[in-house]
Amino acid sequence: MAGPPVLDDAVIASLRQLTPPGEPDVLAEVLRLFLSEVPRRMELLRIACAAGNIEGVYRSAHSLQGSAGNIGAMRLLAVCKKLNDLGRAGDLTHSASLVDALGAEYRRVEAEIHRLITDG
Amino acid sequence: MIPLQVLVADDEPVSRTVVGAMLKKAGYPVIFANDGEQAWQKIDSHDPPAIALLDWEMPGLQGPEVVQKIRDRKVQTPTYVILLTSRDSSADIVEGLRAGADDYVTKPANEDELVARVNVGARVVQLQTALADRVTSLEEALANVKALQTLLPMCAYCKSIRNDQNYWEKVETYFTQHSNVSFTHSYCPACYEHYVRPELEALEGARAAQERHNRR
Repeated sequence: MAGPPVLDDAVIASLRQLTPPGEPDVLAEVLRLFLSEVPRRMELLRIACAAGNIEGVYRSAHSLQGSAGNIGAMRLLAVCKKLNDLGRAGDLTHSASLVDALGAEYRRVEAEIHRLITDG
Repeated sequence: MIPLQVLVADDEPVSRTVVGAMLKKAGYPVIFANDGEQAWQKIDSHDPPAIALLDWEMPGLQGPEVVQKIRDRKVQTPTYVILLTSRDSSADIVEGLRAGADDYVTKPANEDELVARVNVGARVVQLQTALADRVTSLEEALANVKALQTLLPMCAYCKSIRNDQNYWEKVETYFTQHSNVSFTHSYCPACYEHYVRPELEALEGARAAQERHNRR
């Protein structure tokens, strides 16, 4: 599939150079936080969506958008934005299919992150 | 100069960590808050951060609400506030600035832009601190001037001055206490003729008399 990359190389490179000499690796820390934070948020989003909780969908989508944007997960970010807009507009009609798309995109990002971590 | 402390308040850990790392790399000591309440606690303390980056949307207190509380705090050098927001419509930005934020940065933050804006904040805080110090020293100087603008009761004969506690003080003592003036003692030509010369001559006479006595 063409379009934006799963992970933007430029964003990953800019995170990589944030580590000061002798300090713990910032990129590794950020990716670790992403992997622990995002599934939890996606679960909250799924629950809010099923319950028709507009405020909950908006909050979770907003937070996911922040996480995705910061590591350059551009395709995940695009899905989060759509969900965020739905939550903001108060219309959850198409949210279920977007939540599925979110899950699929997340698995791609996760695989890419694992590849990055093993490659170093 | 000691680098100014920066608070990063964001409930989203990935963003909080990235922004914190950017600022640490730029040389700023960074402290963190996970929500608006925590951010407010750190700002409303005896050692508040000079600059705060506040996420617009946090659970509990939101960014603009924290800003409002900071503005109500009425201190000499208030925390410089930059709102972090993923919203980028101009209406939202205007709302944030109206609430009292000094600046805003859109998320995800661009490192160069973020650091440049925090540097502007640091410059504003340093100017404000310097200005506040200057005002304080001018106020002290003004208080001294005022103390010397009153009508001073002075003895017409010995020139002593009656102080606020109703005691008579020497002119030197009074002015040393009420101003930055200090005295060195000397004599004018008229007083030399009137007091000093006769005293010197008397001493000389006494010395000559003593010598005559010794010779005898």
